[in-house]
Amino acid sequence: MPVLSANSRRELDIHRFPVLVYALVPLTAVVLQAWLPRVLGRFAWFDLPLLIIVYFALGRPSPIQGTVMGFVLGIFQDALTQHAIGINGIAKTLVGFLASSFGVRIDVENHTIRVLLVLFFSLLSSTLYVSVYRILLGLSLDWNWLDELLKAAGNSILALALFPLLDRFRIRD
Amino acid sequence: MEPFFVRYRNLLVLLALLAVQVVGLAVQVHRADSGRMSLDPRDSGGVRLIRLWASAFVSPPERLIHSSGLDLLDLWQNYIDLRHVRQQNQDLQKTVDRLRLEQAALLEDARQGQRLQALLHFQETYLYKTLPAQVIGSSGTTQSRVLYIDKGTVDGLQHDMAVITPDGIVGKVRDAFSHASQILVINDQTSGAGVILETTRIRGILRGNAQGQPQIVGIIADNRIQPGERVLTAGGDQIFPRGLPVGVVDKVVRDPQRDGFINVIVKPYAKLDRLDEVLVITSTQPRFSPDQQQDMAVSQALKGAEVQQEEAQKKASAIMAERLPGLIDPNLPPDQQPLHDSTPPVPVAHPPQPLRPDRFTPGTAPDLQNSQPGAPAQSTQTPQRNP
Repeated sequence: MPVLSANSRRELDIHRFPVLVYALVPLTAVVLQAWLPRVLGRFAWFDLPLLIIVYFALGRPSPIQGTVMGFVLGIFQDALTQHAIGINGIAKTLVGFLASSFGVRIDVENHTIRVLLVLFFSLLSSTLYVSVYRILLGLSLDWNWLDELLKAAGNSILALALFPLLDRFRIRD
Repeated sequence: MEPFFVRYRNLLVLLALLAVQVVGLAVQVHRADSGRMSLDPRDSGGVRLIRLWASAFVSPPERLIHSSGLDLLDLWQNYIDLRHVRQQNQDLQKTVDRLRLEQAALLEDARQGQRLQALLHFQETYLYKTLPAQVIGSSGTTQSRVLYIDKGTVDGLQHDMAVITPDGIVGKVRDAFSHASQILVINDQTSGAGVILETTRIRGILRGNAQGQPQIVGIIADNRIQPGERVLTAGGDQIFPRGLPVGVVDKVVRDPQRDGFINVIVKPYAKLDRLDEVLVITSTQPRFSPDQQQDMAVSQALKGAEVQQEEAQKKASAIMAERLPGLIDPNLPPDQQPLHDSTPPVPVAHPPQPLRPDRFTPGTAPDLQNSQPGAPAQSTQTPQRNP
């Protein structure tokens, strides 16, 4: 019989979703992330896969799941670019892991905390991406932190609408 | 004691995944001849496979979106446009509503202007002095067909003044108040107006019937009265001037109360149920327009010229008579006058004696002075026939 740690409030608040949601939502996020910038051009100040990683990682305090989801979606994003596969993967993997770790310790139901966490993980992801690109790989990359700030702000705003929407798919006991 | 891999499985998984990716990145990056790191322009087999899988996952949905025509840009732009369109639509709807109200008001003003223009034209050209008035109310019942106008005694209106429109007569002032007047319309049963049929010259009294139709009553049945004949005011009622149009004969019905009499239903020219402006004849003294006055002045001037011409002709005749020799010279004795004839007159020639005298021969008629009534006729002396 599986034993739940009774003294952990968070384990009682584990977000569960239908399997189809786990499959379709990340796929939709990747598809839209690949498609919307073509439509919106320079105004695509968001990172939908990152939002999905953060959302699922915060909802399930299992670092492995967050890590794996970050890994898969990061690789997926890398695969759709001409860059080396693994740059986004490393960044998103670390974000997934950290988000899961945060979800264990803080109340992620609060919208303000969610927005702040999204803002933080967006900037962290960008930082990791640049770091991997420039430091680890030693490649040159033009970078504009204002764009990353805008992207982080866009992610935070988008999270305000997306997270409650995804909450509707939760399986409630 | 938990096994090491179980206790640190999260961290181990993280490190494993990071290590895999770092190794993968190391495979994809190589040092160029210049000494700088660069990405391999050609993907290796594994990397290409990953890209292929990713593309295989993403491409079908994108193709589906593209083929279904759900172009998000269009969607977005349409959304924005629709938002603007919705707002514009609301604004335009408000504008349309406002313009409709304005149009209705302008249309009504235009109609009123046309009516007033026609009224003014009629008033200017009409022979008698009139006062325009606005119909402001009615009795509210069908039993009393009266109207109220916005002119009263202050404006010079009096009892029994005729109320007309350019189309035809309306009624008469039944009661004049200070700033309003009550008009008795010709289709009221208590009204009365002397009228005449234009063609047949049959006179009658016009008043309303129970249905609110004006009718001419008290007419002896006459087959000459036909629908369509014009009805004019006769001028004998001391209210309506003579010759004003009233309407046309609509139909002829028998008088139910008197045998041998008919009632002529009249279709009035004036729209008695939709009156807005009317004219009140305030004076029956003829007034002439400037053109008419000018014509009259010209006529008078021409007449004066003719008189002067006649006098001039008479004067010239007298002068000519003085200068020409006369037929009788008062200074000469009668036997020396220019036309004196001294030749003896020709004796009157007696008619010759008839060869066979008859009763027409002079002297053969009977003596009527000595004859007596009832006496036997005297035998006429038959003249002797000459052998």
